[in-house]
Amino acid sequence: MASPRIVQQGIKQVKPLMSVDRTEARRRVLNLYKAWYRQIPYVVKDFYLPITVKMGRDKVRELFLKNKHVTDIRIIDMLVIKGQMDLVETANIWKQRNHVMMFFKDTVNPKPKDFLSKFYEGQE
Amino acid sequence: MASKLLVSVRQLSRLNYGSPCFTRAMSSITSATGSTDVDQKKDEHKGITISVPDKVDLSTITGVPEEHVKTRTVRIFVPAVNSMQSGTFNSRRWRMEFDERERWENPLMGWTSTGDPLSNTEVHFSSKEDAIAFCEKNGWDWFVEEQKKPKMRVKSYGANFSWDKRTRVSTK
Repeated sequence: MASPRIVQQGIKQVKPLMSVDRTEARRRVLNLYKAWYRQIPYVVKDFYLPITVKMGRDKVRELFLKNKHVTDIRIIDMLVIKGQMDLVETANIWKQRNHVMMFFKDTVNPKPKDFLSKFYEGQE
Repeated sequence: MASKLLVSVRQLSRLNYGSPCFTRAMSSITSATGSTDVDQKKDEHKGITISVPDKVDLSTITGVPEEHVKTRTVRIFVPAVNSMQSGTFNSRRWRMEFDERERWENPLMGWTSTGDPLSNTEVHFSSKEDAIAFCEKNGWDWFVEEQKKPKMRVKSYGANFSWDKRTRVSTK
């Protein structure tokens, strides 16, 4: 039934999104990280968030590290673009308080992991 | 894209410069948006191609929640033909479908509800390989149900009365 997985190991030539090599992509990521890092105190103040600056910065770090496995330069660029859009929306207060707090997911109940608690929950 | 964004932000901030609430040192555009000259595509990059691995994983930028990337399985198959009609149009294209999650009957109207955002996805492909490539790109686990093609046999009424058939019971 299951057919064998295709192993794609080749390399192809594509047009770059922004960066042409890994160093440049890395610099963009670091730039964005620094910008977020500097903006966090103002975000906390502007939105009157119930978090400390440290917590905000830790969250930024966590979200950046979540994508550290990405190696494709184009994907990194796209992530940078999206992160930048997010930062602009936050800095200009186009977002609202709950949109910022959504990064923390503190009102979301964790999903059951093991079999029995899934069963008690009654939903998959 | 990013440069367009940057331009719009610049314009916006220019409007705001007059108002007294925008006087903080941090609100300089570079720091607020994280955009520097590094973040724009340079002109000398025109015509340059970069080499990337063949296997692209878009799951980090598609916006699909992580739980719906890692825990879902896709079934790639050819839909069955309509048994009440002789047409075979259904079986011309390949389709993908996600594994079934819980559905329940809505107590108000008795309609069927589900909490699964991908449940009614219906995507058609012209070939199996296309469907597989799509799943690979999006990071979903997949399996293929091979198409069962009916074998057509040549049938003729006269063959029932052939000299080597036992169906011819009388010599009359």
